[in-house]
Amino acid sequence: MRFLLNTGRTITQGSNVEHKNSEAYREEASTCRMNPVDMMELDIEERASIVVRSAHGEIVMQAIPDAGQARGEVFVCLGPYANHIVSPETHCTGMPDFKATVVDIEPTTEGVWPIWKLMESVGGCRYED
Amino acid sequence: MKIEDVVCTFCGCLCDDLVVEVEGDRVVSVENGCTLANKKFMGNNRLKTPIKRDGGNWEKVGLDEAIQTTAEVLLDADRPLLYGWSGTHGEAQTIGVHMAELLGAVIDNTSTVCHGPSIMAIQEVGHPGCTLGQVKNRADVIVYWGSNPIEAHPRHMSRYTTYADGFFLKEAFHERKVIVVDIRKTETANIADEFIMVEPGADYALLSALRAIVRGKGDMLPLNICGVEREQLFRVADICKSAKFGAMFFGLGLTMSRGKYKNIRNAIELVEELNRHTKFTISPMRGHWNVYGSNEVFTWISGYPFAVDFARGIAFYNPGETTSVDILKRGECDACLVVGSDPGAHFPRDCCRHLAGIPTIQIDPHVNATTHLSRLQIPVAVTGIDAEGTAYRMDGVPIRTRKVIETTYPSDSEVLEKIYQIIRKETGS
Repeated sequence: MRFLLNTGRTITQGSNVEHKNSEAYREEASTCRMNPVDMMELDIEERASIVVRSAHGEIVMQAIPDAGQARGEVFVCLGPYANHIVSPETHCTGMPDFKATVVDIEPTTEGVWPIWKLMESVGGCRYED
Repeated sequence: MKIEDVVCTFCGCLCDDLVVEVEGDRVVSVENGCTLANKKFMGNNRLKTPIKRDGGNWEKVGLDEAIQTTAEVLLDADRPLLYGWSGTHGEAQTIGVHMAELLGAVIDNTSTVCHGPSIMAIQEVGHPGCTLGQVKNRADVIVYWGSNPIEAHPRHMSRYTTYADGFFLKEAFHERKVIVVDIRKTETANIADEFIMVEPGADYALLSALRAIVRGKGDMLPLNICGVEREQLFRVADICKSAKFGAMFFGLGLTMSRGKYKNIRNAIELVEELNRHTKFTISPMRGHWNVYGSNEVFTWISGYPFAVDFARGIAFYNPGETTSVDILKRGECDACLVVGSDPGAHFPRDCCRHLAGIPTIQIDPHVNATTHLSRLQIPVAVTGIDAEGTAYRMDGVPIRTRKVIETTYPSDSEVLEKIYQIIRKETGS
């Protein structure tokens, strides 16, 4: 099912922004807020894993219902999970389309990656505190 | 010991009324702060020493070695990128720009992925803005467009708008009208007098429709504009026109959406139309506590607010070409110094891939996503907690941040100054 991915700030993301290796940050940054009816149609339970796929890649997140979310649109707080599937195209403005990525969403049994693993997938190397 | 009038260095509000209790080298309580401030001041997960990566192994290194290595990497690079700067004080930003000029580097700050488009629009049509004090004391109509202050700037409404009594508004909560425009029903939208739920990417059309109504041409509009009833827009235009003093605040909902800087230009021109009827201002909701400062410092030294390229020996600025995401997307830079920012978390994946493939060095107090992409990280003091320096509030007012605890960490300025002096010596400048 096709959705428009929107990203932005949440207070939980901001509270943990200096604790990026924490479980609290990982959970918030990988949470996808969806309209409850859309979740029902896709047979997705609260906090179940979903795969979010754009033309630019795919990432596993967890879904939670949010009645303030319009149908056909999803919201993920800004961070490495959403950005894993955002195109770097800026249309000559310097600014990528952080609020307008078309994605497909479906349930999955895969788990959410930790941030270090996301960074290792692009050539980085894990640092443990 | 309690310290009063402490400045919070989290968001662009730079709240300067915190009371911080200190015991030894720790902050043990924070009064007046929001959730974000409490977390920031009470946080205790600093990186302890500089760390360096050799292949797949991290090791601790001394500060002097880390500084020397940073200077050597930057001197060896043909096209270094110096990125971040919004999470540090103005004095450090100043050194950064001078360093970029010596190196012939590109220097860019985080506004490149937040309010860069706002600055581009302001360069086209100007900025009818004002200080937050004016808003607090005078504004009886507040518009939040593509902005969710309850989550991103938690005390903006209590210090300056909805809940803040002012000189001409003794009971602000009852006397101020609040209009929110967003594509989703946020917490901020829940307390609005008027909430306009706009379709994604339709902000430009909606702004144009409001401009038409304010100009007296509303009858030519269709009954529904991008999911919004025309009657609601008539109502909102009336509220704005009848304001004694209106203040629009806009966020990344405008700068990151389709239209980008043209959205902001249209919003500024709507405010210009409204000024034919009353006093109205418009201001960006700046995110990082000193991102405004990075624009100020870059501009007073180079003439440009972000994305400044010194490769030609003079300052050159061309968003879309000299902006960090575009440079990284093209795989152009061959070294990157990150100061007070986390591009690993906030840049698209392809940009992170290039950062991982080149010598990326980070100066930051905390382990973050960029740490895993870096070859070297130097921990520094946190400005506003164990270092002081100048920052600019979101309305352009400079505020001196304070140091509330003693530290063994060097400040950003101290580390950057040492790197700069090595570069000066090596380049004979």
